[in-house]
Amino acid sequence: MDKQSYTCVLVSDFNLQNFAGYAANDPDFPDLKPVAAPLGQPVPVLLDTAAPHWQKAADLAVIWTRPQSVIPAFDALLRYEQVPVREVLQEVDAYGSLLSNVSRCVRYAFVPSWVLPSHRSVFGVLEMKSDVGLTNTLMRMNLRLAENLEKIPNIHVLNTHRWIERAGINAFHPKLWYLGKIPFSHEVFKEAAQDIKAALRGVLGYARKLIVIDLDDTIWGGVVGDVGWENLVLGGHHHLGEAYADLQRGLKSMKNRGILLAVVSKNEEQAALEAIRRHPEMVLRLEDFAAWRINWRDKAQNLLEVLSELNLGPESAVFIDDNPAERARVKESLPGVLVPDWPEDPLLSPAALLSLRCFEMPSLSREDLVRTAMYLSENQRRDLKKSVGSLEEWLRRLAIRVEVEELHPANLQRAAQLLNKTNQMNLSTRRMSEAELMAWAGPKHRRLWTLRVSDRFGDAGLTGIVSLEIQDRKAQIVDFILSCRVLGRKIEETMLATAIRQAQALGAKEVYARYVPTPKNKPCLDFFKSAAPRLLPQGELFSWDTGQPFPLPDHIELVQ
Amino acid sequence: MREKITQMLFRVLDELNQFRPREEHLKKDLGTPLAGASGRLDSAGLINLIVLTEQKAAQELGRPILLTDDRTLSRINEVFLTLGSLADYIHLLLNEKRDG
Repeated sequence: MDKQSYTCVLVSDFNLQNFAGYAANDPDFPDLKPVAAPLGQPVPVLLDTAAPHWQKAADLAVIWTRPQSVIPAFDALLRYEQVPVREVLQEVDAYGSLLSNVSRCVRYAFVPSWVLPSHRSVFGVLEMKSDVGLTNTLMRMNLRLAENLEKIPNIHVLNTHRWIERAGINAFHPKLWYLGKIPFSHEVFKEAAQDIKAALRGVLGYARKLIVIDLDDTIWGGVVGDVGWENLVLGGHHHLGEAYADLQRGLKSMKNRGILLAVVSKNEEQAALEAIRRHPEMVLRLEDFAAWRINWRDKAQNLLEVLSELNLGPESAVFIDDNPAERARVKESLPGVLVPDWPEDPLLSPAALLSLRCFEMPSLSREDLVRTAMYLSENQRRDLKKSVGSLEEWLRRLAIRVEVEELHPANLQRAAQLLNKTNQMNLSTRRMSEAELMAWAGPKHRRLWTLRVSDRFGDAGLTGIVSLEIQDRKAQIVDFILSCRVLGRKIEETMLATAIRQAQALGAKEVYARYVPTPKNKPCLDFFKSAAPRLLPQGELFSWDTGQPFPLPDHIELVQ
Repeated sequence: MREKITQMLFRVLDELNQFRPREEHLKKDLGTPLAGASGRLDSAGLINLIVLTEQKAAQELGRPILLTDDRTLSRINEVFLTLGSLADYIHLLLNEKRDG
């Protein structure tokens, strides 16, 4: 984890003290230290970016307002005065611009969407009509705000309605409002605190990437080895069968969002695979799984093997199993793996899956959408490796192509994602938002390149970053980041050769790299030790003379 | 009934403590000071206590009570002096309801 606690500025027109309390006490990583901006004045607070609460290096801001307090035209609508929707949306645009100011003062900002108290239903039939319906207008306002803020990568609009729904009928609390200017019940703030912390974990790169799932009585009903695949409870018109099919649909939807699926099950492999292949109601198919271990061995050991095969750490994984003893075993052996309590009643399992708060991701890249296919290509590479005589022969037959391009808006999202998620081959383990990264690479003496790697089996996508900072004819390699998906194919050497060539082209005589150790980035140190003499005998500083170019691996086609 | 009220108030404190700073958690003890000079609750804390107590009383004691009327608020430091004084007051309100 890169930081112990995060300072969170709270901006609101109402009392957010209860939210602050829940956010500060929530035991999950990361710790939050809420700091309240002056209460009741959201617009002046947003306008005054020189105010002390913005100057104290706040990490994030939560800007939670009631619509009538920041959009005066909507306040007039609440009094049923005639105001054109166009005017309301113009004010929403202006408010969005104000929020964009804040995006320069904090690393991340979260903006809960606007809601109206659900007891407000005097003109129910009119609510959804254009121009006269308040709900209709508020929906448009929220959409407009979300669309405006989408252009700002470090501001995220959150869905307040979800918290309201989960809090139930008493979500809006008139008594708390009149006594303490607190519009929502405790449950709403509790939900909000949990969601905002999950979103923060996501933007910091700590989202889980893999669901490892059991089979019997977890994704289908029955024990396949006992009843045969034809008699499993799955789909059809059986209430339990429908629930299992829905759980599988949920898992498949997660896969389509870039979450990897794997199976760890105590079963005869042939029987289990046959069930997946042949059952007509099976939603998940073999190609949906990036890996599986179906045997009678210890599940924790199997899970470790899956993690190793997929090059992921325990902190990336969620383990789902109907059997409490198996869950306890994995929890005890692999504390980094998230093992949620799983409902005994299968009818509750689809909801249990979709309410997990550990897969938050701030953006979706092309790589996320095709991640499982990438891992399946990896299996083909492994098979080829086994069939050829040497590493060199394997690398030659892979026909690797590396495309280098400078940082620009089109690759920024994925570059920031890689910067924030990569742990092993990471020289300095800097964590930055998209805006921070773009700003860092702005000055002329700093350059950042991305590397896209592909081969005969497919496109691994944008998997590398290397950046330079040049001063006094010396170039420092600031970032040297490579996804573990493509490690060991001499892409590291290609990145280094690229950095040294670019440094030379920019007039540098010397290139150096300072290794910043973390608990996870020793592979990076090992690579640098093998690639350069250490500059200082006891230090972790490496250097190269640009007059002697670092050799580019000859099996790689470099495209710049 | 008195024991039921006490247990209900302990559960109110459990909820209240979920969003109070750890060093300011309220002890589940009838002697715990609430409002007034030696009290541990600021105005927002007191408001939360009142609302949570009314909610819990309706759920667990089967009868709603009102803690925001003039009668209660005019003697707020007395009613909310300690957890025990609050329990006594709730007991009184419930008895009045029964008698009425």
